Amino acid sequence: MKKGMVKVPEAGQWPDKLAIPALATGAVLTTAGFLAAFLLVAPVNGAELESPELVGDVMVTHQQLLSQKIFYFHMPVAIVSFVLLAFGAYYGVRFLTTREARFDTCSRVAMELTLLFVVFTMITGDLWTRFEWGVWWTWDPRLTTYLILMLIVIAYFVMRNAVDDPELRATYASVVSVIAFVDVPICFMVTRLIPSSVHPVVTREGGMSPDMALAVMLVMAGMMLVAFGLYRLRFRQARLAERLQALKDQLDD
Amino acid sequence: MNPILADIYSTVVPSMPFIIGAYVLVWAALLVYVIIVVRGLKKTEAQMAALEESVRAIRNDRPSNPL
Repeated sequence: MKKGMVKVPEAGQWPDKLAIPALATGAVLTTAGFLAAFLLVAPVNGAELESPELVGDVMVTHQQLLSQKIFYFHMPVAIVSFVLLAFGAYYGVRFLTTREARFDTCSRVAMELTLLFVVFTMITGDLWTRFEWGVWWTWDPRLTTYLILMLIVIAYFVMRNAVDDPELRATYASVVSVIAFVDVPICFMVTRLIPSSVHPVVTREGGMSPDMALAVMLVMAGMMLVAFGLYRLRFRQARLAERLQALKDQLDD
Repeated sequence: MNPILADIYSTVVPSMPFIIGAYVLVWAALLVYVIIVVRGLKKTEAQMAALEESVRAIRNDRPSNPL
């Protein structure tokens, strides 16, 4: 764990033992959340009907917005993308303050997973947007700030591939990870600061009922565990690849 | 069809491809990423094992050493 005077994360330690159980538990929780969203939580009401209609044994008075079911995955994956980006920026700052390459590896892996969860958020959000608003894209403040965040994360990897010097690459990458993180509070707060935003805000829409909150929490916990498991697996692979390269270099010398 | 029922179903049936698409794409992308990471891990572990074998061969001064 210790390298010089700075404690650095290493693969093969106790968190790695939790990676596979975390992935399995995450899969179970997200599946439970998915089932709860469709089987436990009633659809959200839309426009009022001209007259009530009996469907099965339920008196329906409003249109049923089934597309809202996308929300149960959309919001958790967006929150997890913010958490992963926070870790990427944290390790970026750790690299800038210590110049320890291991922190750059941690930051890179966290940023890679951030991109994965940003793509999940975009997929779920875009399909919801297409059905509810009738367009694939609109320059809503939340969508725009999240698109900027995604472009910065993509730029992070483009930049990494463009710079050959490892020290310089890690420095630039750390700075970009911090810049990307600056967008997180902006993206989170923008719907509250700009009232004209058409993006739904849970608190503005009256909050969640207990069954809705349960489904969201199940998926959120599951996605957090999936992200943790994937992080440890990917970090282990990245560290092994680094050690392999170092051994090859030593043998070449 | 009863116009009220048609009004109810107008927001349910057409939304199904979008809901199914969203969930299927997320699960599929997650599965693909897990497969890529696990395959990468196994490949790197195999390379490390091969390298360790080569190092042992060098130490034993074998003439058929691949490095």
